Amino acid sequence: MALRYVLMAATVVLFVVAGAIFVGRFWNIYQVMRKSRATIRTDQIGKRLISTIEQVFAHKRMLKVRYSGVLHLFIFSGFVVLLIDVVGSIGQVFSPGFSIGPVLGMIVDIWVGLVLIGVAMAVYQRAVIKPERYHGSDETDGYIILSIITCIVVGIVVHESFYPYAAGPIFGVKAVALSPMEFLAYGLSRIWVSLGWTGATAASIGYAVGYTMDILMIWVFLAYLPYSKHLHVFLAIPNIFVRKMGPHGELVTAPVPEEGIAIRSFRDLSWKDVLDLYTCTECGRCQAVCPAHAAGQPLSPKMVILELREALKKELSGEPPIPLAGGVVSQEELWACTTCGACMEACPVFIEHVPKIVGMRAALLEDGEIDKTAQKVLVGWDRQGNSFGQPLKKRPGWTKGLEISIKDARREPVDWLWFVGDFASYDPRIQDLTRLVARLLQQANVDFGILYDGESNSGNDALRIGEFGLFEALAQKNLEKLQEAEYNMIFTTDPHSLNALKNEYGKYGFHRPVKHYTEAFVDLIDQRKFDLKPLGIRATYHDPCYLGRWNRIFDAPRELMKRVGVDLVEMPRHGENSFCCGAGGGRIWMEEVGIKERPADQRIREALTLEGVTHFVMACPKDVAMFTAAVASTGNEGRLKVVDMAELLAEAAGLGVPDTLVAAR
Amino acid sequence: MRILVLSKSVPDLVEELALDEDNGELLHDDMTYVPSEWDDHALEEALLLKEEVGAEVTVLAVDTGDVDNMLFTALAKGADHAVKLTGDFDLATSNRKRAQAIANYLRDNTFDLVLSGVQAIDDIDGQIPAIVAGLLEWPHASVVTEVSIQGEQIHFRQEYGGGLQAEFSAQAPLVLGIQAARKPPRYASIAKVRQMMKSSTVDEIDASADTVPELEIRRFFKPVAAGHAEMIEGDPEEVADRIITILKERKLVRG
Repeated sequence: MALRYVLMAATVVLFVVAGAIFVGRFWNIYQVMRKSRATIRTDQIGKRLISTIEQVFAHKRMLKVRYSGVLHLFIFSGFVVLLIDVVGSIGQVFSPGFSIGPVLGMIVDIWVGLVLIGVAMAVYQRAVIKPERYHGSDETDGYIILSIITCIVVGIVVHESFYPYAAGPIFGVKAVALSPMEFLAYGLSRIWVSLGWTGATAASIGYAVGYTMDILMIWVFLAYLPYSKHLHVFLAIPNIFVRKMGPHGELVTAPVPEEGIAIRSFRDLSWKDVLDLYTCTECGRCQAVCPAHAAGQPLSPKMVILELREALKKELSGEPPIPLAGGVVSQEELWACTTCGACMEACPVFIEHVPKIVGMRAALLEDGEIDKTAQKVLVGWDRQGNSFGQPLKKRPGWTKGLEISIKDARREPVDWLWFVGDFASYDPRIQDLTRLVARLLQQANVDFGILYDGESNSGNDALRIGEFGLFEALAQKNLEKLQEAEYNMIFTTDPHSLNALKNEYGKYGFHRPVKHYTEAFVDLIDQRKFDLKPLGIRATYHDPCYLGRWNRIFDAPRELMKRVGVDLVEMPRHGENSFCCGAGGGRIWMEEVGIKERPADQRIREALTLEGVTHFVMACPKDVAMFTAAVASTGNEGRLKVVDMAELLAEAAGLGVPDTLVAAR
Repeated sequence: MRILVLSKSVPDLVEELALDEDNGELLHDDMTYVPSEWDDHALEEALLLKEEVGAEVTVLAVDTGDVDNMLFTALAKGADHAVKLTGDFDLATSNRKRAQAIANYLRDNTFDLVLSGVQAIDDIDGQIPAIVAGLLEWPHASVVTEVSIQGEQIHFRQEYGGGLQAEFSAQAPLVLGIQAARKPPRYASIAKVRQMMKSSTVDEIDASADTVPELEIRRFFKPVAAGHAEMIEGDPEEVADRIITILKERKLVRG
């Protein structure tokens, strides 16, 4: 009977100690969150709940990596069952005779089995498969937790298996025989019988050992968790609930902090950013999809989060603060980001890497630190409104050479206002395409116009370089002109401009419809504005980050290809999992330091693995610049033709495609 | 150490120069003006010195119109004070007259070191730092790189032909025309410039200048195109043949 009191005392004392450690740790985290920036994450409760259920109970994102998803589901489900066991076991000790019954007992045993399978799979993954994404993660912590979990679930079965023989000596109640339904405990008890370990002493020791492995280890687990990456056990669900809901492509949400978007210290993070740091499970899925990481650059989104978390822990332990931008996270890491958003798309707990990186870039910029080529581009945007260092007056220069002149939307009303963008306006390699788009619109009798030299760069990339002030200045210039013009819809070929117009200008009260040319052309085809002949080619399509991931426009380009008779073969990474060309976030203007293989080159290689695919189709002017270069530099011009959507449509519609373009023949 | 950085704005060459070809005058009002690149280097060198030895940096411009933005940008980069010399100045004001106003200002205010861009695209004569030094009878050097302050001594380098370099030292006060800063000029974010506009002021100092001996510009000409480039087209073999023919025609190769 004395043993019962020892177990009771140990349960209570350990619980109080572990609980205190646990609460103290959470209190610290709460204090940091309280002092950080505000952000509204409690709107759209219904949607948030549904998304949380999908992600938590159906493991939607987790299952994208099948093996890990399944093993995690096994272990995760064990945590739910653990509750039954905690009630049952503590009940046994504190209220002699208490039992959860054979049915619940069987459920517990089934899940003990599933958890053990999950743990075995996890160990196999860590020790044998060794995914690259774990590089940089705390693997010891992973093994410690797996050991603790194994210990707990084995403990469950052990003390249950001894219970019928220990019930008398420890609790003074009549022994109840184990039901074969509790198959694990039952099976184990048969072994004890054959070993002759069913006497009072042996059974009492066995029960105490099992109970310690189970309940007492759970309390240890509770105390250990807040110091490990497994804090996600508690934080993942709330972090998913307070995820960013949209508009998806809006990087900086209103109200913009008066002091700007720069992140210098932990106080400049939002409370969600702080929560993100502690929620990270170090799974490395972000690292596995990061184009900068794949290119061999020093950036891993996972390491950015871990470096920040480590620095915050040190700061909380009293060490002097280190500047976050350029200190905790190096300049090289910050400037390597293409803001493609693949990391955020892959994160099973909805950590937001890109806004943190851009905020830290803003801090570097304020100190005058930026790649010198990119600096010239910023100055060019400020002075001439374009990244090409060309006069503002030359912005509509591409219209020369068109048979029919284009309406000036500043002077007369138009149905569609075409926001052309820098690359489509100025890049000599792309101007031919821009003219082709104009001819397609004229062919379809669309009433359209442009803003001529009234258009400035949209500011999408300036913002992502971290230059919020410049973004705002560019946005104001464009909004002024857009306000003067009369139109029903904005049309653009450029996903970066589309993103700014659709998502970033909203905070200044701009909410006009914006369509990508792929969407608009599908509409025109369906209105029978073109007489199309099927092209009969086999092609693959590259989803631009700012069209697909950030604006969820996946179907229109595919529909367009279908309508012009293209047999689409998807690359392994497509749709929301598309792989960045490497140009976004201002990267297109920055030095390629430390790049082993350019993302665009890797992408071309990926396309070449597809059987019978002769064409690589794009829907973004920057992609045209990136991939025509990549296909040439990898020496694959003969094997794969890189073409723009407009070329496909023009060819199918019987418009002559200029020889300067690689046409779909 | 108190450093004065001279800055001026020049036409933005990205845009076309506006020239009245009939009377040969530049149409200043039709052009966009930007800070002179060499002056940006002078400011950067001054800011590097500030970071190294804690100098106090004042940036100065002659009020030829819209120079405020340029001065606030310098403040955003880290200059401590900004001064605008007001008076009878405009974009066509000669360097001689500007230098006189700056020298007058320097007589009334104590500075140890004056840094200026060595020249500007609208003069290419490097006069301002030289004339300022001459009027004040201060030592002066042009085409300077790598300034450093070691105690009372100011060290700097000049590059000569053939890659030869010379290192000088001088006592304050001193005027230097900077060819290039040690680092590319830093960036000033728009938000920071705006913040400076709200939180700082530009000191306006009346500098109605004396009459000075000046040159008169009679007229500006646009460059006259001379000769044409020949684009050689065709496959590599044909292009190579054509190049060889040209080289032979011009007697640049034997055989």
